[in-house]
Amino acid sequence: MKIDRRSFLSLVAGGAAGTALSPLPWKLIDDSSIWTQNWPWTPVPTDGESNYVDSVCTLCPGGCGISVRKIDNRVVKIEGKKDHPVNNGGICILGLAGLQLLYSPSRIKSPLKRTGKRGEGKWKEISWNQAVSEITEKLSQLREKNIPETLACISGSAQGVESNLFKRFLEAFGSQNFMSVPSIQNSYDMTIELMHGAKGSVGFDFENTDFLLSFGSGILDGWGSPAHMFKANSGWKTNKSKMVQVESRLSKTAAKADKWIPINPGTEGILALGLGHVIIKKSLHNKDFVNNFSSDFNQFKKDVIDRYTPDKVADITGVDKSVIINLAKEFAGASKPLAICGRGQGDIPGSLKEFGAVHALNALMGSINSKGGMFIMPEQNYIQWDEVKADAISSAGMKKDRVDEAGSVKFPHSKSLLNRLSGIINSSKESPVQALFVTGANPLYTMSDTGQARKSFDKIPFIASFSSFMDETAHQADLILPNHIFLERYEDVPTPPGFAVPSIFLAKPVIEPVFNTKHSGDAIIKIAKTLGGSIGESFPWTCYENCLKKTLGDKWGTLLNQGVWMDKNFKPSTWANAFGESSTQFYFVPKSADPFSGPDLINAEGDQKSYPQILISYDSMRLANGFIADPPFVIKTVSDTVLKGKDIFVELNPDTARELGLHEGDYANLSTLKAKVKVRVHIFNGIKPGVIAMPTGLGHTAYDKYLAEKGINYNKLIGSVEDPVSGLDAAWGIRAKLAKA
Amino acid sequence: MKNKHKNNNAKKFGMVIDLDKCTGCGACMVACMAENNVPFKDDETDKLLSITWMRVYKLNNGESFPDFEECYLPRPCMHCEGEHGHSPCVSVCPATATDYNLETGIVSQIYTRCFGCRYCMAACPYHARYFNWWDPVWPAGMEKTLSPNVSPRMRGVVEKCSFCFHRYQLAKDRAYMEGRRDIEEDEYQTACTQACPAGAITFGDLNNPDHAVAKMVKPDPHHHGRPMNPKAFRLLEKLGTNPKVYYMSSREWVRKTGDKYLEDETKVKKH
Amino acid sequence: MSKIKNNKTDENKEGASGFIILFFVAGLVLSLVVGWIVFPELLYSQKEQPVNFNHALHLEEVDDGCESCHFFREDGSFSGVPKLAQCVDCHEEAQGENPDEIIFVEEYVAKDKDVPWLIYSKQPDCVFFSHAAHVKGAEMECSTCHGHIGESESSKIYEENRITGYSRDIWGKNIGGFKKNTWDRMKMDDCAECHKKITDKATSVQTKKDACFVCHK
Repeated sequence: MKIDRRSFLSLVAGGAAGTALSPLPWKLIDDSSIWTQNWPWTPVPTDGESNYVDSVCTLCPGGCGISVRKIDNRVVKIEGKKDHPVNNGGICILGLAGLQLLYSPSRIKSPLKRTGKRGEGKWKEISWNQAVSEITEKLSQLREKNIPETLACISGSAQGVESNLFKRFLEAFGSQNFMSVPSIQNSYDMTIELMHGAKGSVGFDFENTDFLLSFGSGILDGWGSPAHMFKANSGWKTNKSKMVQVESRLSKTAAKADKWIPINPGTEGILALGLGHVIIKKSLHNKDFVNNFSSDFNQFKKDVIDRYTPDKVADITGVDKSVIINLAKEFAGASKPLAICGRGQGDIPGSLKEFGAVHALNALMGSINSKGGMFIMPEQNYIQWDEVKADAISSAGMKKDRVDEAGSVKFPHSKSLLNRLSGIINSSKESPVQALFVTGANPLYTMSDTGQARKSFDKIPFIASFSSFMDETAHQADLILPNHIFLERYEDVPTPPGFAVPSIFLAKPVIEPVFNTKHSGDAIIKIAKTLGGSIGESFPWTCYENCLKKTLGDKWGTLLNQGVWMDKNFKPSTWANAFGESSTQFYFVPKSADPFSGPDLINAEGDQKSYPQILISYDSMRLANGFIADPPFVIKTVSDTVLKGKDIFVELNPDTARELGLHEGDYANLSTLKAKVKVRVHIFNGIKPGVIAMPTGLGHTAYDKYLAEKGINYNKLIGSVEDPVSGLDAAWGIRAKLAKA
Repeated sequence: MKNKHKNNNAKKFGMVIDLDKCTGCGACMVACMAENNVPFKDDETDKLLSITWMRVYKLNNGESFPDFEECYLPRPCMHCEGEHGHSPCVSVCPATATDYNLETGIVSQIYTRCFGCRYCMAACPYHARYFNWWDPVWPAGMEKTLSPNVSPRMRGVVEKCSFCFHRYQLAKDRAYMEGRRDIEEDEYQTACTQACPAGAITFGDLNNPDHAVAKMVKPDPHHHGRPMNPKAFRLLEKLGTNPKVYYMSSREWVRKTGDKYLEDETKVKKH
Repeated sequence: MSKIKNNKTDENKEGASGFIILFFVAGLVLSLVVGWIVFPELLYSQKEQPVNFNHALHLEEVDDGCESCHFFREDGSFSGVPKLAQCVDCHEEAQGENPDEIIFVEEYVAKDKDVPWLIYSKQPDCVFFSHAAHVKGAEMECSTCHGHIGESESSKIYEENRITGYSRDIWGKNIGGFKKNTWDRMKMDDCAECHKKITDKATSVQTKKDACFVCHK
């Protein structure tokens, strides 16, 4: 048989016809199209049983309740918990992105020991036993040399069982140097102590005020308990309560306020005193309170208030005289006026004079312990443990002064002055801190003058970080003992800042720890027990959970089931009982330390000639600037007029921009006494001329590619300016120079 | 069984966003991304490429300091009805990947049908649609936090806000279990509505006079759903897209910014 | 002479056209055989379930039929193929001497490992199927879509499509896609067939069918 071309073609034709009549081509097309939709690298999440586990978010002290949705054993969504007293179902942008922290590329997966030089990023994974023995070895050396007081600890908080375990450890070891990251809470607490003669903290009855006067507080930018403040603001909008924001920049809070009063930065306290002047002059103050519960009102009027005439105040603050007078009248005319302060999110403690002035305003109007006003909240004292056991070494160590000089003759009322630490270490020949624990904090990012902070840490021979993430401080540590993240552990949450009901919330583990991490409470108990002796004896608990249970006592059951314990019967004391036993009255001008004695303005470092502009910072809900940094979802929401590529934008008034020859998007050199950086310019009509505003939360040098090297860290450009009375950082800005690059 | 379905009245799921309460915090943006498996890249500063089904815009009154005012406006997909369901995006899709459902008012996007021509992106006047230029990449382990109720997208497809219709599906499942077909107002709420800490977003059935959304804006059925509440407005009302997202503001400049008004227009033109 | 030539060429022509037809038929038959018989052989790989499961036996032991192990949760979601925890209720230890059960107890229960069942009805990720709507809402029988699997005494061979990775049960046993029973296929068109016949909704503007998200996610 000859197969010629024609035959071949007919064979092919037959084949084609048959193929067309068979399912092969159609099935192959269908299958190929399915195949193209099935790339193995596009994940297909498996379905399973959906259930919710409730807990409390601890990414900030706000104390929002969360409901975490799980599919089988995987966490898939964090939602706000309905009916939780703080947030009632709502939840902030950071809390929502909390799941991304669980598997963050910055997550530290096991204890690490540094190999290579500090900052090189070379680590060796070690076991927990090894990590504990490394620490106990280093610490034993300090005890042998009789210098237990050279062990210091920087903790994110001074409250809660975990932080107190660290504090207890230091005391048992022989060191007073437990320092907590400062905030406006410290200034508020001190103001209460000085002016009321009582110990306590502040709560605010936001729901019932009809006129809120905020001196730069970022009510909608993260101040206090953020979700709670958002709810309060929505309530004011519904009830038509008034909110006035005094701020040099149109923050989100100012944009939502009924009135925005632009002010020269740093002069907010002067304005408060000016308002007090008008109120007293026009006799609009609450006579009952002033006459019956204070005895130094006349002294206050004469020595303090009389100086701050509307003219003088207008001159200093840049606020029109008529605005000052009208504001005073409106504030005094409200039935439940309330004044608050603490700039931005409240990370910088601020000037005690400013706090005193604002508190005086509330006192003048009788808005203390009254509906819609501020409440003096009793000190939370649920942590009652036996005395720490001491031995000769620790007793001697505890007698030594604190390294930060808090509580000394200089600053008798302060408990902790972390802002003074780097200066003191750098000016000492040998560092007074020989070993440092860092827990729940990232000081090498958050401390002012990061250059100096870094220099001081370089002088500390041994640094152990308990961080869950490779943050700037962990990056410079010698040993890392990673804590579980908030979804993986128990934690007691004390009354959130500004919350008007004494409460304790309980954060519970929502998922088994995904890496080889350990609750820092467990770690410190283990370290204490391994050191043994009186230190070990001071830690009678088997583990953190056991300690937490015992500490919370009869509240544990409620907390485990509902996550919330509130003292529903709490009522702020009447004026007759609102003051300390020794004073029984309100002090406008405290005798032990007069916050009004200092200069009008806290200094902004730098001379006007070399640094003609003023640089301030602004806090934002979208840029976490504390010990937790933005997860990828949150940094994604940052506007392209704040961050573009790796460049940070600073805000500039169009008049100032014109003067400096700068246009939208231009590159510029920004310099202060502390550093010189390159930025881009965003023209913004919501800022005073001559003022430059830079967002906080950017400029990370550690973490991962989603965050590292983006923008500039504001703390690099500014230093700490000590308040004359408290010693706390009262810097509100720094002089700067901006020039086209 | 055919008769059972005749009793369901058509729903029109819509949203009302109170711009007086919105603080511009961005929680709605992240709630949506977390709920819907939205991908993220190393650098998200090029906003033309950044996928944010819900996006918060900043409006301002155009004045200079110190009279400058700002307002924040969250913008999900408008789920435009157009005329009888002819949304701009639905009308142009060559693959029928997106369709308008008359029973719920939702414009759905089904990723497996989309072949990425992006005609819908050109048609959408609200820039509510986003294209996956790249395959999504999740850091190791983070893919475990994805929700099984929303399909992760591969490169080459368009995605947009879905009014969380997967929550509608789940709510219907529960209803079937309990022997009913209707779902209550609080059973189907979008992720953004649920998350908003200020309570600025409200979601519900605009056709149901008992639902909060209908009570707040009072849509006028004779004028393509235009809000009868003078404080309420819709974006680009004049285009006739008949969107389902209503905004409320007590400030007039905000209401006027919602549509393209000429400099000398003092009143809202009748449409 | 030319006559002979012509005859010869005529013969050749006739023969040639015969060849052509022959080759055409040969090609046709060959490709039909390949398309209908060889292709399905090559396309599907034969896989065994990790444990040979006897449905009929288990159905005798339980009270609620299929829903005893394939149950609905309170929120209306469907549990699907049972997890190990459910089997362990009875099979903590081997109940009999059946070798398949022994394997199950030794390899899975003892090691606390979930059996990696191959799922015949597995649909792609884009599909949203609500069991609640069909079983509770439409009161359908399990066998309408799944066939009489409950009566089987051993596990069917899982024929996996080498290209797509899905089971042969989705397209259907018949390579041409022809079906006799409702449970022979599980493609979108099969769902649509029933939806068109029974619910017949035309609420979508473009497709004139029901909403896309009724079946998709």
